Amino acid sequence: MRTLEFDRLQETLYHEELPNGLQVFILPKKGFSKTYVSFTTKYGSIDNTFKPLGKSDMVRVPDGIAHFLEHKMFEKEDGDVFQKFGANGASANAFTSFTRTAYLFSATDNLYPNTELLLDFVQSPYFTEQTVEKEKGIIGQEITMYDDQPDWRAYFGAIENLYKSHPVKIDIAGTVESIADITADHLYECYHTFYHPSNMLVFAVGAVDPEEMMAFIRENQAAKTFDKPEPIVREFPQEPASADVPARSIKMDVSKPKVQFAVKLPHPDLSGIDALKHELAAEILLDLLFGRTSDFFTEAYEEGLIDESFGTEYTSEAGFAFAVIGTDSKDPDKFAEKVRATLRSAAEKFPFGQDALDRQLRRRTGLFLRALNSIEYIANQFTRYTFNGMNLFDTVPALEDLQVKDLQDALVPLADEQAWSVFQVLPDKGE
Amino acid sequence: MFTEFRLAEGVRLFVRRTTQFKTVTFSLRFRQPMTAAGASARAVLANILEDSNETHPSRAALRSALENMYGTLYYTDVGKRGDYHYVSFNAECVNDKLLEEEGVVDWTVRLLADSVFRPNMQDGNFKPQIFEREKQTVLERLSSLYDDKTRFAQQRLMQLMRPDSPESIRATGDEEHVGALAGQDVLDAYKRMISEDEVDIYVAGDVDPEAFSEEIRSAFNFEGRIPAVSPQAATERRGKTGRVYERQAMKQGKLHIGFSTPVLFGTEDFPKMQLTNGIFGGFPHSKLFMNVREKESLAYYAASSYLSRYGLITVSSGVDPEQAEKAAALIDEQLEAMKAGEISDLELDQTKAMLANQLREALDSARGQIEIFDQYKDLPGGFSPEAWIAKWEPVTKEDIQKMAGTIEKELVYLLSGKEESDDADA
Repeated sequence: MRTLEFDRLQETLYHEELPNGLQVFILPKKGFSKTYVSFTTKYGSIDNTFKPLGKSDMVRVPDGIAHFLEHKMFEKEDGDVFQKFGANGASANAFTSFTRTAYLFSATDNLYPNTELLLDFVQSPYFTEQTVEKEKGIIGQEITMYDDQPDWRAYFGAIENLYKSHPVKIDIAGTVESIADITADHLYECYHTFYHPSNMLVFAVGAVDPEEMMAFIRENQAAKTFDKPEPIVREFPQEPASADVPARSIKMDVSKPKVQFAVKLPHPDLSGIDALKHELAAEILLDLLFGRTSDFFTEAYEEGLIDESFGTEYTSEAGFAFAVIGTDSKDPDKFAEKVRATLRSAAEKFPFGQDALDRQLRRRTGLFLRALNSIEYIANQFTRYTFNGMNLFDTVPALEDLQVKDLQDALVPLADEQAWSVFQVLPDKGE
Repeated sequence: MFTEFRLAEGVRLFVRRTTQFKTVTFSLRFRQPMTAAGASARAVLANILEDSNETHPSRAALRSALENMYGTLYYTDVGKRGDYHYVSFNAECVNDKLLEEEGVVDWTVRLLADSVFRPNMQDGNFKPQIFEREKQTVLERLSSLYDDKTRFAQQRLMQLMRPDSPESIRATGDEEHVGALAGQDVLDAYKRMISEDEVDIYVAGDVDPEAFSEEIRSAFNFEGRIPAVSPQAATERRGKTGRVYERQAMKQGKLHIGFSTPVLFGTEDFPKMQLTNGIFGGFPHSKLFMNVREKESLAYYAASSYLSRYGLITVSSGVDPEQAEKAAALIDEQLEAMKAGEISDLELDQTKAMLANQLREALDSARGQIEIFDQYKDLPGGFSPEAWIAKWEPVTKEDIQKMAGTIEKELVYLLSGKEESDDADA
């Protein structure tokens, strides 16, 4: 077992790669009564074209299958896994993102029975045509629920605008039509390809003894047999640098228009501290341009172009990256024009110097330390960073390394007008 | 859990020393009896006091100072509990001990004191442009409820069941009252809050309680006050019963069902009713989830909440409108089963374990510690998590059956895009 000390953060991280390829990380946190354990595969909604384990031809599986598989993992021949966690007093959950599927529980008691349950249920697939059919009704209602949420529609509409054919433009849960095609065979094929331990990571954080937990997981894994790992072959379409659709709108029954200004960004093949710096520079630049201390925010708020719903978001994963700047606005066109003007003016003359950067570095350092209070944040973000070749705990050194030049570099793709797109949800009150 | 200091009549400080967190968390809460007019004025007031203060006289100046103080978090909020309305001032800063400089915690105490006692004034009132803008912001927050169909449906259920009473008054007030506010109304609400409200101040983090109580005492120079007590409702609050179906342009049906029970927060039966609600629909192992979702595939979510201060239990589920009647019948069946004593040992044990876990888990965040302690602290005998968990242990199936027997259905509300006739009986 490897030990990594982060003195300034007063944290110690324990790591081991097991013989079957599973990565295990443990972070004990003093004073906590709960333990949070997540078991994550590097497999999400975008992985829809791949070479199944042991086969030679690529397949294209129905949209929404990673999320469908996540749902079905909870049903076993002898009943529902939630019931078993419930009996152990643990709350269990799972989520599917573009690039990951995570299973997790948090518990203040019965840590080892719960850990065993987590490892075992994720490693024992059980799908029948009957249980697959039954799930279609439940997921159909989940999809319909999201269809009725204008904020989700606005966010996803913006991503759809940006991409021509990359699967990031497909809703994570798929559609009622696409999930209709899913069969138990599909689920097994995806499972065997992506749920190999060598494609997965366990993170345990909170009230946990690292030696004991590592031994427990080691033993659990040693008792199981797995196929020889093979490198996973995924295929993604070529994607142009420009946004696919520059502007689009839909109508919904909303009280006020919603608007998302989206920018398609390049995703350089970086890892380690360079990747972290790249990501932090983009986030800090967005804060400086559009955050609550920016001229943009002050003016747009005074003019009534933005309200409490305003926010910016930067997403970067292997294969795609984008930024969205969104709000409810009585005048969505004027809002979008103001965002354009802000980006153009920054590109003409870069408005931020060392003072502005220093203030953001102090802020980010504080935010990071505050985030370390949350064991859920640590587990989820650590896993995401590790899958992308970064280390969450390098955040402070990466921040200290940032220069104004890095922010200037981050502006170039953000100010590329070909990469801009606007999506609006407009009120439709007439019936 | 917290060490209590009495700063003045009606003003208490609670400090919890812990090394669990890398930050120090503050919450100041001002409490008074709830009315729609009061909630409306206080919602705008809270926004004004978050915008800026005398020391940092613009939003950008205040936000910039917060960024410079290692991203110290500062916000105000409004909330309600039972018949009372709250305005809270909240902050969280990195503990100096983790930084290469000192004074961040002291700065945050001054920021809170400035925010409460030294607002951004002009000619004896809040600046008109800030007042107008924040009034607009609150109006927009109120109207945005329409866009969130689940919250909208829940609010309609409460309005229909308990019109014009604390159950259905929103913490942000309502559009009519907020729209009619003048600057003087908000100033009056401010003066009243400062001098008349009951005040609870919470601090959680690695600080010395004794020394810190002195710092707080001198930073916040509160005068004593005798807080107003909410009048007990003279008549039983009742609204519509039966069914109400309403329509909006949407795909899913939002089925919300309201039940009442005489068992209230803090009574002897209260822990039993917490368990009863847990078995009914509080968790993924509960009857609603297992039957409405897992067995019949009618919904993605089906859950119940126990609004213990109001003696209400509400169920919500997102269903295909065509299946709403079937789902409502299935929900009724689950409650009837409990009334008939159909409760397994497993269900009871799971629910006890889950409630205990939920409580212990909530205490793993500073905000959770403050929230839970604040809710339970004034019950006779005070509050400790383990003592509370012990109250659930001896509860039996017979107790649950008895509790279920007190639950009465009042109203079924369905919001959907489907054509349906209104057939409520008032």
